[in-house]
Amino acid sequence: MGYRDYIREERFPTSWCGGCGIGIVLKAVCQTFEEQGFTYENTTVVSGIGCSARSAGYFKLDTVHSIHGRAIPVAEGIKMANEKMNVFVFSGDGDLLGIGGNHLLHACRRNTDINIICIDNEIYGMTGGQKSPTTELHIKTLTSPKGNEDRPINVQAIIRAHDDFYARTTVYHYNHLKKCLKEAIEWKGLSFLDIKAPCISNNGRRLGFKNGYEMLIHYKDEYKIRTSDNGHLLAEKELGIVK
Amino acid sequence: MEKLLLQGNEAIALGAVKAGLSFYASYPITPASEILHYLVKTNVKVVQMEDEIASINAVIGASLAGAKSMTATSGPGFSLKQEGIGLAHMIEAPLVVVDVQRVGPSTGMPTLPAQGDILQCKYGSHGDYFPIVFYPNSVSELYRYSMEAFNAAEDSLSPVILLSDGYISHLTETMVPAEIPIKPRTLPPLGALGTRHYTGLTHKGAFPKATDAEAHQEHMAHLQKKQLEVAKNYLFYEYLENKNSDTLLISFGAMSRLAYAFKDQYSLFRPIRIFPMIEELTEIAQRYRKILVLEMNAGQYLSEVERLLQRRVKLVSVLGGKINLNQVAREVQWAIETI
Ligand SMILES: Cc1ncc(C[n+]2csc(CCOP(=O)(O)OP(=O)(O)O)c2C)c(N)n1
Ligand SMILES: [Mg+2]
Repeated sequence: MGYRDYIREERFPTSWCGGCGIGIVLKAVCQTFEEQGFTYENTTVVSGIGCSARSAGYFKLDTVHSIHGRAIPVAEGIKMANEKMNVFVFSGDGDLLGIGGNHLLHACRRNTDINIICIDNEIYGMTGGQKSPTTELHIKTLTSPKGNEDRPINVQAIIRAHDDFYARTTVYHYNHLKKCLKEAIEWKGLSFLDIKAPCISNNGRRLGFKNGYEMLIHYKDEYKIRTSDNGHLLAEKELGIVK
Repeated sequence: MEKLLLQGNEAIALGAVKAGLSFYASYPITPASEILHYLVKTNVKVVQMEDEIASINAVIGASLAGAKSMTATSGPGFSLKQEGIGLAHMIEAPLVVVDVQRVGPSTGMPTLPAQGDILQCKYGSHGDYFPIVFYPNSVSELYRYSMEAFNAAEDSLSPVILLSDGYISHLTETMVPAEIPIKPRTLPPLGALGTRHYTGLTHKGAFPKATDAEAHQEHMAHLQKKQLEVAKNYLFYEYLENKNSDTLLISFGAMSRLAYAFKDQYSLFRPIRIFPMIEELTEIAQRYRKILVLEMNAGQYLSEVERLLQRRVKLVSVLGGKINLNQVAREVQWAIETI
């Protein structure tokens, strides 16, 4: 089986804009599925609502595209009903940390053995570019025309407060992204992967990026992979795994 | 036959177990909590979730994964579950939602019974959908219709609502457990095919059709036809004809128990499957000059009855959770005189 066998190519072209980061995550996940030997019989993807959440429909597996914010409880229901399933949640920052934040909190507490993949574009992409729970301070969005006054959520602290698996990476750091995916899958219990990804159409252009490529390359300078996996919390703009 | 002494909520739980319940998720709320209390002592996988939204969505996930699944709540939680119920209709997930009604809106009167969620069952989620809803009126019926609800869910691949109220659910009565054939699971669980994409978007098979009017009309027609077809096999109502009366009293749940007091004066009709509405009522109603709906709300089922019968119907309404036979008798009398 090749990694493309996990994709419903008959649904191409995807609904995503040129320069979007979601497709990169999709590819990394499919390659990881292949490396892990996952099959449709033991693997499912659940999503909420948003551009990122549309991913579920592109996997050639039995998948669930649920409602806004509720992918985690749906995934937990699946896992609790069938422990043998490898259950992946695939959604955006708004979906998982805003409207669905309470479910994340309690899934952490329950330590349900699911893998949560958060495509973190720091914006509500699908709805046109409103500020999200991960939008940084002072950033201008549709709903923060004078700059965001709310601090971004410290999701690492939430996950680690319950000793669950947390990793931060970006779609630029592809090999690191794949390492994070592999370790998240090997982790028994809840894992949360915070993947910084560009949304050029509804965030990047407003920030001054000319195109998706420029925005992607910018991750290279902005984020650095931590060299020692010392288990400490990641500093700002640091990439790595905390478990 | 073995007789059991059970509380209404326990009967719901026991019926569900009998029907093959294997996953239950809920959040505590009066007057529904005893279902949760009962089920944690069984072999059913039970989770107390962080809220009712999580509960309905966990139940959807479990159902798709192959488990016969249920959640139970009361009005405030039923409101929270509405978006999830809409999803379950859209993706055709079989499951059971129990709503033990209390006085609303809002926190209302938590310990007192009401029938204020009748229309919420039918219209609570956005968009069009065609729910199957049962509303029993005794402990033995709660047991039986709990099982029927699971069967109807399997037949229709939809979320079936089992309505109760704080009065019926908190009665303790003796009952002889009904024996009915239990429908097996037919929906292949997640992982069985690898070709399905369950989505709340309008869709055709595994393909979202979010801007295709025809696809939407087709999906709606499919859902409506399916629900009405399945409902035909669950034709549950009670009709107590009084040949000397030109008046028909319609009631269900707690109010229908009180209505029995009037059976020597009037005819009584009690839908147990309150939605889709019992078509036979159209024919029965033709025999009566006067029709009254007795309900513990401001006229919810009344509007549905008028829509079905295409004629005016009188309301006897009980609000605030206290049911007084003499007062209802006076109001019935007054309503009849003013027709
Ligand atoms: C209950 C509900 N509220 C609001 C919406 C509208 N909505 C759709 S997607 C979305 C934001 C998604 O943002 P995010 O999760 O970050 O995903 P992205 O599009 O950025 O990938 C919102 C608010 C909805 N679908 N449902
Ligand atoms: Mg986003």
